[in-house]
Amino acid sequence: MPNDAPAEARVFHPENRFDRMARRPGGVAREHALEAAQAHLEELKADFDDWINVELAQLAASLSRVESHPTDLSAVDAAFHGCAHLRDVGGTMGFELVTFVAANLCDIIDALKAGAVFDKDTIECHLSALALAKTERYRHLSPDQVPEMTAGLRRISQIASIVPDDTVD
Amino acid sequence: MKNPTVNLRDLVILIADPNAYARRITNGILRGFGANKVLEAEQSLGLFQVLTGQKIDILLCCTRLPPHGGLAVTRSIRRNSHNENRTIPILLMSSDTSESTIKNARDAGANMVVAKPMSPKGLYDRLGWIAFNPRPFIDTETYFGPDRRFKIEGYPGGVGRRKGDKQLEVAADVGPALDQNDIDSLFSAARKGQPDA
Repeated sequence: MPNDAPAEARVFHPENRFDRMARRPGGVAREHALEAAQAHLEELKADFDDWINVELAQLAASLSRVESHPTDLSAVDAAFHGCAHLRDVGGTMGFELVTFVAANLCDIIDALKAGAVFDKDTIECHLSALALAKTERYRHLSPDQVPEMTAGLRRISQIASIVPDDTVD
Repeated sequence: MKNPTVNLRDLVILIADPNAYARRITNGILRGFGANKVLEAEQSLGLFQVLTGQKIDILLCCTRLPPHGGLAVTRSIRRNSHNENRTIPILLMSSDTSESTIKNARDAGANMVVAKPMSPKGLYDRLGWIAFNPRPFIDTETYFGPDRRFKIEGYPGGVGRRKGDKQLEVAADVGPALDQNDIDSLFSAARKGQPDA
């Protein structure tokens, strides 16, 4: 006769060095730890401009390849990863607008994978927005502080992300 | 949650992220917190080489880690019964904060998810949460990892209740993207009698 009773789960508390060590007294107090971490980020900002310029150039080149070879998924993936780098790092370095625009562009590139049509104007608009977002004038602004820009980008990304019916199974 | 002091000195921390600049940032933040033993990997192969070569105390892993992603890495670590790092805390870093991704991370055996772009505060508090709110591990035929029962949504979908579990109310669905508080709530162990956040 088969035994339908569910197997008992084994519940245990593993020996965990992280838990034990991290709770030791003598750690950096939270306030000081956050200040020190922020100081490290400030040091990194010295070469952030160089980094973002290189990443933007690579992203533009990747998107150019996508335009030439729209069915080449590796080119689309390369563009997506480059754009995701900008999205993932911008906010941490205080460039919230870079993260916003890059996230928008990531959505558009994602839609390309699903069969959306490559629209050069939309891509160039986002690349220009990224170039603007990294400037001294805009880098300290949050998306909420430039509502016309963010609403416009959202709108064109919605349109650019429409996948034609004939590409959907 | 209170904000306890986390002592990272002499803990071996592994950052796995395909983005070199993001690794530098995370490394810098951790060193600001007092960490002095931080290792880095840019893809899964390098990560597993580190894991087989030495004992790691905590893994910070990007969900986009090539080639198969941080969730697959987490599953692989948890499911390998010969892996001495099987029970290490795993903190996934993700820019995709959709509810499905967060639940998948939880079901893969991650301890926590921190949203990208990260802030020092967000990372410090999640590390503190892992250290000061340890969860028991569950070992079943289909899952190995930290207890997945959470105060907001009750029992995870597709996972049978265990003997002795009490009835909990299930929260309504939320939107497609979760903020860090929503993510945390999915990783917050249920406490009997504690009201939902």
